[in-house]
Amino acid sequence: MQRRLFLKTALLTLPTRLLRSQGLTLPVKSGSVRFAAIGDMGTGDSAQYDIAKRMVEYRTKFPFDLVIMLGDNIYGGKSPGDLAKKFEMPYKALLDAGVQFRACLGNHDDLNERFYQFFNMNGQQYYSFKKGNVRFFVLDTNYMDPKQLAWLENELSNNSGSDWKICYFHHPLYSSGAFHGSSTELRLILEPIFLKYGVDVVFAGHEHVYERVKPQKGIYYFVEGASGELRAGNLRQTDFKAAGFDRDRSFLLVEISGDELYFQAISRSGLTVDSGTIRRTVHLQPAAPPSAELVRPPAN
Amino acid sequence: MAASAVIFLIGLVGSVPVVAGALQAPPPSQESQAFDEFTQRVKEYLKLHKTVERSLPRLKTTKHGKTIIDHQHALAQKIAEARSNAKQGDIFTPEISEQFRRVIRTKFHGAAAHNMRRTMQQGEPLTNVQLIVNGAYPGNLPRTTVPPTLLLNLPQLPREVAYHIVGHDLALFDTEARIVIDFIAGAIP
Repeated sequence: MQRRLFLKTALLTLPTRLLRSQGLTLPVKSGSVRFAAIGDMGTGDSAQYDIAKRMVEYRTKFPFDLVIMLGDNIYGGKSPGDLAKKFEMPYKALLDAGVQFRACLGNHDDLNERFYQFFNMNGQQYYSFKKGNVRFFVLDTNYMDPKQLAWLENELSNNSGSDWKICYFHHPLYSSGAFHGSSTELRLILEPIFLKYGVDVVFAGHEHVYERVKPQKGIYYFVEGASGELRAGNLRQTDFKAAGFDRDRSFLLVEISGDELYFQAISRSGLTVDSGTIRRTVHLQPAAPPSAELVRPPAN
Repeated sequence: MAASAVIFLIGLVGSVPVVAGALQAPPPSQESQAFDEFTQRVKEYLKLHKTVERSLPRLKTTKHGKTIIDHQHALAQKIAEARSNAKQGDIFTPEISEQFRRVIRTKFHGAAAHNMRRTMQQGEPLTNVQLIVNGAYPGNLPRTTVPPTLLLNLPQLPREVAYHIVGHDLALFDTEARIVIDFIAGAIP
């Protein structure tokens, strides 16, 4: 316990120090699952393109082949020209390199985006997929009807093995953003299901900042909604905020190897604004609540 | 994103056949009777939607955004033509509307009211939008977030149809054609 407390404290002091760091903090282990997370990016503005270029740059050091999209993939118009300007052009280098994008829908997205092949939703409003030892559950939180809830429970119960369980969707259950804040109604409905079936980590967007939330009932929550949009200075001090960045755009890199998840949040200018490691305890009983602990900051 | 626009009329209007829900013994409550009737009317709409959809090339996942948009527009146009006499209240009849209003009112005055309003607010609600049956939902406007607590208490809908909250109105919305099927004005307190 002493070790755990010490390490948590060490991680929480990281952002200030890491703001000076430009390098990769992830271990790039052989056979690991690697992906990037971006949210609220589809503006077509220069900031989105800057983040995309930074992702390409980091990919040379951290070869990832998956990008999870946390919604608001295409703001405003959805014409073919908009899709090109707000998605195909900024991420062209990644698409050309064979990187697969997997989208969830935000409130600025059209449901028919599920037919857009580049988003790899295969016509589904919500879906799940597996990569290595990770099972992803992708939800549409704009419309959390009983049908989707039943589907989620069914998917989680059918995948109760030892894979990591990662959910992602648009509206954050916990957020220190002043503009929207936490989606408390959604939390009341989803959190019990996540706990029941041992979801390990949750990613969301919507709030135009980066935030890492202290583990809530053993579940880790990240908000990455600043990969195109930004609400500068919007983060408030809350008792659940572990780290955050609201001064510029950002994206997140994640690596999962065995029972460890490494993360690194990177700003538009290439600064590491947060990083760390999550170690989970494997749960073979679906009814058991998950527990995970922050173990150590990665070596710079 | 500006939350104001006018949903324009694509076509005028057809009617959805009325199929009365069968009464079972013991007599169902007014609410379940109304909701059964509503479900039946939605089924009739869905039948029309699928008939029209079958007349179009099947939409598969594609890298070409134009294919998706063209399909959506064609579907919307053909549905509007097929129900060119549709008008507000064809699905949300006065009796059905009254039961919806009652359920919604109850939820918005109950313990969940605060969280539900918060959900709607966080979803960047639309205001000053005029709903018109068969009118298209402009592609540049955000989707509104319907409180999940409310969805748990309303009749379930097929995949092709969804509830939307627009200002104080509750709309029934075709998710593939992106048109308004019907709506209850002022349903949300």
